[in-house]
Amino acid sequence: MRVKNYYYASSLEDAFSRLHESNKNAIIAGGLWMKKTAQEYDTLIDLSKLGLDKIEDKKDEVVVGAMVTLREFEHSPVIQSLNSGMTAFAVREVMGLQFRNMATIGGSIFGRYPFSDVIAGLIVLDVALHFYPEAKMSLVDYLSYKGKYDGILTHISIKKDNAKGYFKKVKATALDFPLLNISISKRNNKLYIALGSRPMTAALCLKAMDYLDKNPVDDEAINKASEIACEELMFSDSTNISKEYRIDLAKVYIRRGLKEVL
Amino acid sequence: MTLTCYVNGVLRTFDVTPDEYLADTLRRNGFFSVREGCNESACGACTVLLDDKPVLSCSILSAKAEGKHITTVDGIQDEAKKLSHCFAEEGADQCGYCNVGFALTVYSLKKHNKNATDEEIKEYIVGNLCRCTGYQSQLKAIKAYLKGE
Repeated sequence: MRVKNYYYASSLEDAFSRLHESNKNAIIAGGLWMKKTAQEYDTLIDLSKLGLDKIEDKKDEVVVGAMVTLREFEHSPVIQSLNSGMTAFAVREVMGLQFRNMATIGGSIFGRYPFSDVIAGLIVLDVALHFYPEAKMSLVDYLSYKGKYDGILTHISIKKDNAKGYFKKVKATALDFPLLNISISKRNNKLYIALGSRPMTAALCLKAMDYLDKNPVDDEAINKASEIACEELMFSDSTNISKEYRIDLAKVYIRRGLKEVL
Repeated sequence: MTLTCYVNGVLRTFDVTPDEYLADTLRRNGFFSVREGCNESACGACTVLLDDKPVLSCSILSAKAEGKHITTVDGIQDEAKKLSHCFAEEGADQCGYCNVGFALTVYSLKKHNKNATDEEIKEYIVGNLCRCTGYQSQLKAIKAYLKGE
């Protein structure tokens, strides 16, 4: 990565205006994955001084600033009490403590990384992304948004649904990228299933969810749902795991996860 | 660009480039206790404290340290000596390359959670790799250090 200028934005308006001065300008959050790219930037715009590092516990939702670090997120009592602790658990699976003291919620989501444990942990919840200039989009819609989004992610809101959740990161070693992510939640009497790192970005298994919605959820239905989920999403080989093994793992963990949240 | 920050409590000003990483800035300015290992956020050898929190100096841009307090192992000498005594008692190191990163991470743990359980210790040090030991002796040493033995 090469950078010509580093700039601390004084306001969101300032950041947005700087961002659009050049197509080689970019917002920097934790900056951890930028290091691994060969990209050249004219100006990196830092949002650290804009107060986007707070977690607010509101009546119906939790609002998390984009610059909240993963460590602050996982340690927040509000987040730990949310959705049977599943969200905090998913974030705790990311690398080591030092890494999570630097990486931010905003950076983890905005990049739409295929290996993101954060996205996989959040996608089965009712999560909205808030941008500057003022715009709101569900996490699911953002993940399927074509092209790079023009606005600046300022915070996310997680609806308090009293959900019960399950999250599993399959990895070879403690600090490894996920070979597969499985997340499941039950909220408002509906089951949500998502698979990430297949190795594509996490996505909901809509057909499997629909099947569970329309059928009594017994062992047979759980088995069937795990089959449907693996048929509706695309899987591929990676250097350290085959497509077939990924699918086998997904079926097993979907069954376990569904039984856990029921 | 100019970076102004505190290193081990002393206000310092460094000339840095916008794409320079903190480990490089610190080493270039004589803070050789900061060690570079994997240089890709995986080993924890380069750990320093930034405003009292362990971070990877190989992966954080120097510009992000503007106005902040950086602590290297030179800034926690008394505590590092206590920990190294515990490491020696338990035979918890061989080559010693990872020790500096461990010292800063464990010092942070002591400040934030002195009564950490085994699981909490493991979770805290998971980002510090040691290729000589099997971590069991280090776990014993860290427990002894936290107890003040």
